Amino acid sequence: MRLGAATAAAAPGVTSAPADRRRRGRLRFFLAVLRARPIFALGYAIVTLVVITGALAPVMVPYGPMVADPNVYLQPPGAGHILGTDGTGMDIFSRVLSAPRIDLTIAVLGTLLSATVGTAIGALAGYYEGQRTWRTALSTFVMRAADVLQAFPVFVFAIALVAVFGQSVRSIVLAIAFVNAPIYLRLMRSQVLSIRRLRYVEAAYIAGASDLGILARHVIPNAIAPVLAQLSVNVGWSVLLTAGLSFVGAGVVAPTPEWGSMIAMGFQNVVTGQWWPSVFPGIALGLTVFGFALVGASIEVLADPARRRVLSGTLG
Amino acid sequence: MMRRNAIVGPQVNRRDLLKSSAAVAAAGAVVPTALRWQQAQAATSSTLVIAAPATPQSLDSNFDVSLGTFEAVAALYDNLLEFNKIPDPKVPGAFREDIADHPDKPAGLAVQGKLAESFELDPNGKFIRFQLRQGVKSNWGNELTADDVKWTWDRKFGLKAIGAFYLSTLGLEHPDGVKVEGKYTVSINLDNPNPLLAKLQPNLYAPIYDSKKCTEVATDDDKWARKFIENNSAGFGPYRLEQLQRGQQAVFKARPDYYLGRPAMDTVIFREVPTSATRASLLQGGAVDIAQYLQPLEIIKLRGQPGVTVDSVAASFMIWLELNAKTPPFDNVKVRQAMNFAFPQEQVLKTVFQGLAEPLTGCMPNIYAGFTDKFWKYKYDPEMAKALLKEAGLGAGFKTSLAYNAGDPVQEPIAILYQTALRDIGVELELKKIPAATFYNAVSERKQPIIFYVDSPWCPDVGYSMTLYFNSTSFINYSNYANEAVDKLLKDTARTADQAARVEMMTKAQEIVMSEAPWVFIAFPGYHFAHRANLKGFTYYTSNNIRFQDFARST
Amino acid sequence: MSLLRYIGRRILFVVPQLLGIILVSFFLVKLIPGDPAVMMLGPTASQQSLDELRQKMGFTQSLPRQLLHYLHDVVRGDLGTSWQTTQPVTQDLFQRFPATLELISFGLLLAIAIGFPLGVAAARLKQGPVRKFADYYGLLAGAMPDFWLALVLIYIFYTKLNWSPPPLGRIDMAVVSPPTVTGSMVIDSLLAGDWDALSSSFGHLVLPVLTLGLINAGPILKMTQSTMERTLASDFVRYADMCGLPRRVVLRQAIRAALPSVVTIVSVLYGFLIGGAVLVEIVFSWGGAGQYAVQGVLNADINPVLGFVVFSAIVSLVIYLMVDLLYFALDPRTRT
Repeated sequence: MRLGAATAAAAPGVTSAPADRRRRGRLRFFLAVLRARPIFALGYAIVTLVVITGALAPVMVPYGPMVADPNVYLQPPGAGHILGTDGTGMDIFSRVLSAPRIDLTIAVLGTLLSATVGTAIGALAGYYEGQRTWRTALSTFVMRAADVLQAFPVFVFAIALVAVFGQSVRSIVLAIAFVNAPIYLRLMRSQVLSIRRLRYVEAAYIAGASDLGILARHVIPNAIAPVLAQLSVNVGWSVLLTAGLSFVGAGVVAPTPEWGSMIAMGFQNVVTGQWWPSVFPGIALGLTVFGFALVGASIEVLADPARRRVLSGTLG
Repeated sequence: MMRRNAIVGPQVNRRDLLKSSAAVAAAGAVVPTALRWQQAQAATSSTLVIAAPATPQSLDSNFDVSLGTFEAVAALYDNLLEFNKIPDPKVPGAFREDIADHPDKPAGLAVQGKLAESFELDPNGKFIRFQLRQGVKSNWGNELTADDVKWTWDRKFGLKAIGAFYLSTLGLEHPDGVKVEGKYTVSINLDNPNPLLAKLQPNLYAPIYDSKKCTEVATDDDKWARKFIENNSAGFGPYRLEQLQRGQQAVFKARPDYYLGRPAMDTVIFREVPTSATRASLLQGGAVDIAQYLQPLEIIKLRGQPGVTVDSVAASFMIWLELNAKTPPFDNVKVRQAMNFAFPQEQVLKTVFQGLAEPLTGCMPNIYAGFTDKFWKYKYDPEMAKALLKEAGLGAGFKTSLAYNAGDPVQEPIAILYQTALRDIGVELELKKIPAATFYNAVSERKQPIIFYVDSPWCPDVGYSMTLYFNSTSFINYSNYANEAVDKLLKDTARTADQAARVEMMTKAQEIVMSEAPWVFIAFPGYHFAHRANLKGFTYYTSNNIRFQDFARST
Repeated sequence: MSLLRYIGRRILFVVPQLLGIILVSFFLVKLIPGDPAVMMLGPTASQQSLDELRQKMGFTQSLPRQLLHYLHDVVRGDLGTSWQTTQPVTQDLFQRFPATLELISFGLLLAIAIGFPLGVAAARLKQGPVRKFADYYGLLAGAMPDFWLALVLIYIFYTKLNWSPPPLGRIDMAVVSPPTVTGSMVIDSLLAGDWDALSSSFGHLVLPVLTLGLINAGPILKMTQSTMERTLASDFVRYADMCGLPRRVVLRQAIRAALPSVVTIVSVLYGFLIGGAVLVEIVFSWGGAGQYAVQGVLNADINPVLGFVVFSAIVSLVIYLMVDLLYFALDPRTRT
C-alpha cells in the first residue's frame, strides 16, 4: 500500500559534509513536525516510556513480578497495591511494568527477524525476476510460497507453530517471524523491481559489480524506507499477536509477566466482579500498541515525499 | 475412579429439541428481551438443565473416563446392587451412600438389591449368587435375564480395557467364573477369596447391558457392540438417550416403563459450558438448574444468592502432585519429604480453595473406613525442607518442572504459590501448562517430574484405594512408586475377607507411604453441589457424580 | 466472455495454491507432539489396540503416503474425523462455519457502518473535531486487543448492567433454534418467522459484533480516508469542481471512485477474520470454526485443523472472486 514511497531517499555517493548538514536539517524538520502534529510526539513519548519502563522495571517495581503472596490475593486497587493483586496475590502494578521486557523483546525480535529474512529474500526475488535463468524459477517459487504462507489463517498458523516448537519465548518469536516475513518479502520485492531498472544500477552492473554487491550497495539502501515505516507498526501488531497466543494458552509460560497471559488469568475473575487483574494489563497493552502505531504513522508521513511536502507546506 | 477433562469446541446450535422447554420460552416472550435473560425458567418444569464442563466423549464406561460419561452411564444403566442411602450428617436435605463397615450385615455392607432382588455371599468371599428381579425391561423392551449379566462380564473379558482392571481386582480369571444357573439366577465364582466381591457391584464400571440388543447390533468387526454403546445405550436404567451432540449437549428422556417407576425429571439437558464462571452465572440467572465443577470463588459468591443453594459435602476427591519416583532427584525419599515440607498447604487452602477444602493429611479418602491421619507430619516448614535437601546432597537446590492442567482453574494458582515457596529453599520450579484434553496423556505417560492429579477411588474400600495408587503394578500408580513391603501388604489385603485384619495391614501400608511421600499432599476439595434452591434429592456418591433420577422439584 | 475466462484462470491458479496450503499444513500439523491414538483410546488401552488403531488410521505409513491418502480423501470431500467430537470434520465444519461467517459478516457490516462515513467525513474536513476523532479512533481501534475489549464489554453489559445475555453461544438455551436454511441464526429465524429465536439470537450477536465492529472499523476508516483524500485531490474531481458541479454530485463521484479500495480492505479483513475472530469466539463461547481449529491444534486433533485450513482457503477464494466481480461492476475500466 505504501509502494513507491522511498525513491527520494539518499542517492548514492554523497560526501560527508552535506550529509551532516542534511542530518541537522532533518532533525530540525523532525522537531517541527512533532510541534505541528503533537499526536506524533505522544507516540514517541509512549514508546520511550514503555522501553524505559521495561529496561528499569527490576529497580522500579515495588514487588517481585513473579512472587505470589497468598495473604493479599485479589485485593482491589488501593494503598499498598495501587493496581490491586491477582488471584494468587501477585502485585498487578509490578507485573504490568515488567511485562514490556517480555512483550517488547518478543515483538522486536520477531519483527526484526521477519524483516531481515523477508527483505533479503524479497530483494533477491525482485532482482532476479524476469531474467531467464534458473534463478527466475526460484524467485517465482519463493513468491508462490509467500502466497501460500499468506493464505493461511494467521492465528491458527501461529498457534500450530508454537505447538510444534514447544511453548517458549523462542517459539513465539519464530511464529511471529514466520507470519510476518511475507509482508516484508512483498514490500521489498516491489521496491527492488522498480529500482533495478534505474540507470545507476545498470551503471554498476556494467562497471562489473557482482549481483550481491549491487544489491547490498545500491539497491537495498534505496528500497529500505517503506520497510522501516512498516517495522514500527509491525512491532505493535506483534505485541497483539503475542498477547493473543498467551490468551489461548500457547504463549509464554505462567506466571511470566506478560500482558496477554495476565488478561487470560484474570478472565474468570471478570465475571465474578474482580475486573482489575484483566483490565489494567489490557490498558497497558493498548497504549503500547497505540504508541507504536503513532510512530509508524509518523515515519510513514516522513518517508512519503508527497505527504512530507504537504506537511512542510503547513509548517510554513 | 478417574476423570479427564475433555474440552471440545463448544456448542454451535441445537436443532430439533427442547420441545418441552419451548413452552417455557413462550411464557417468557412477553417480558422484554433484555430482562428475560435473568428470568428463572419455570419452576414447575420437569426439565432438568445441567451446565457441565463437557459433554460425554463416549457412553462406554469400559473405555471412557471423561467428564460426563458417568453421569450418563448412571442414568442409562442399572447395577445389580447399590448402597443404602442415609441423610448427610452435615447438609439437611442431602443424602449419601452408607459406606461404613457393618459387621452385622451380610458381606459387612449396607447394600440393597437393584437389578438383583437378593444375593447370597460365600462367607469366605469365593462366590456370590444373584437372584434377578423378574419382568425388568431394557430401553429396547428386552427382559433382563441371567444371560445379560453373563454377556456383560464376557464383554469385560473380550475388550480387555478398563474392565480388565476390574477383573483383576476381583481375581476373576476365566469367563467361566460367571455361571448362568437359571433364567434369573447367576453366580460369580473365584479361585481365591476376595473381599470386594459384593462391594464392587454398585460401582459404575459394573452396569448390566441388554445383551439381546447388543448382539443384534454387533458386527464381525465389532463383536462387543462398541460403536453402539459408545453413542447409544442398551440398559435397564431410568433414562434413555435422546440425543448426543458432543461438544454441545446430551439430552436424556425418562423411561415411563422403568421398573422402579418413572423418574420425576422427565427431560434432562446436559449442556456443555466450558467456562466455570459462565456456568455459575447461568445458575445464578436461573437458566440452568445445576452448575457442575465451579471454582471456589464462584461457590462462595453463589452461596449468598437468592434461589441458589450450594450443598458442600465431604467427598472422596483428592488433589495431589505426583512426584515421579523414577525421575531424579525424586527417587530420593528425603527430597520427596522436603517437597512436602516446602508446600504451603495452609495458604493454598485459604487462598485457592477459599477455605472450602480440607488438608490432605493421608493417602486415601478420609471418608472411607480404615483411613488414618496419624502419620501426617508435613506441616509447612521450609527450614526442615532445607535440612532434608542438604542431607540428600542437594543443599544448593535444583531445577525441576511441574505440569498442570489448563482446564482446571485451581491448578495454576496452586502451582504459582508453590513456585514462590520453593524459591525459598533454592528449588527452581518451571511451570508447564498442558491443554485439558491431552493432560491425561501427560499423566499416564509418567514422564513429567511433577504433575497434578485429581482423583478418587470409587470403591469405598481401604484396600482398593491403596492398591490403586501405591501398588507397583497398578496402572494408575502415576508416581512410579514401588515398595516391596507395601506390595506385599496390598496383596495380602486383597486375599482375605477378614475386615479387621485388612484394616490393620492397610494402616501399616499408610504409615510406609506417608513417610516415603510419593505425593505432595494438597487437599480434599470436597464436593460442592450448586443448584437451584427448589431442586431436591441431591445424593452424594463416592463416584462423585450426580444421578438424574434422584432429583425432584419442590412445590 | 473475458469475465468467465478470467474466473477460470483464477480458479486454475488456486489449485496449486490450495495444494501448497494443504502440503504445508499437513507437515506442520503432523509435527505437533501428541499421539491421537492414545487420546482416542484413553489411558487404559493396551499396546495391541493402540497399534491396531494406528494401523487403521494409517499412522504407521510413511508421511508422503499419508499425505497422498489425505489428498485422495479431500478430493472426494472427506476430511477425516475429529477424535474430539468423533464426527466427520466436514459435518463439524458445516455446523461451525456458518456461526463464524454470521459473526464476522455482521461485525464487518457494523465496521463499515462506522468506518466508511467517518472516513469520508474526515477526508472532507481537514480540521475540526471530526477529523481529530477519526485520527485517534483509527489508531486506537488498531491498538486494542479484541479479546480484551470483549471482556470489558461483557463486564459492563453483562456482569454489571445485565443488559446482555450471558456470553454463551448464539441463542438462548431455552429457545428453540429455527430450522437451518442459511446457517445464520438471525436470517433463519426471520425466514421461520420465529420472533423469539430472532430476538434471542440477535441479543447474543450484539456484544461480539460490537467488539469486532469497533475494532475493524479502524482499518476501514483509514483506507476510506486516505483514498478519499487522494481522490478529492485528483484532477478529475478538481475539474468537476471547477466546472461548477454541485458539491453533492462531486462527492458522490469521488466516493464511487474510492469504493474499489474500500471493497479491497473489507475483503482482506473478511479473509483475515475467518481465523482471526477466534479469540472473540472463545470469549463468547461462539462455537465457531476458528475455535474448532484452535482446540484441534491444542489437543493434537489433526483433521479439524487441516479441514479448517482447507475450508477457509476455499471461503477466502470465493470472497476474492466476489470482490473481483464487484470490481467489474464498480470500475468501468476493467470492463474493456
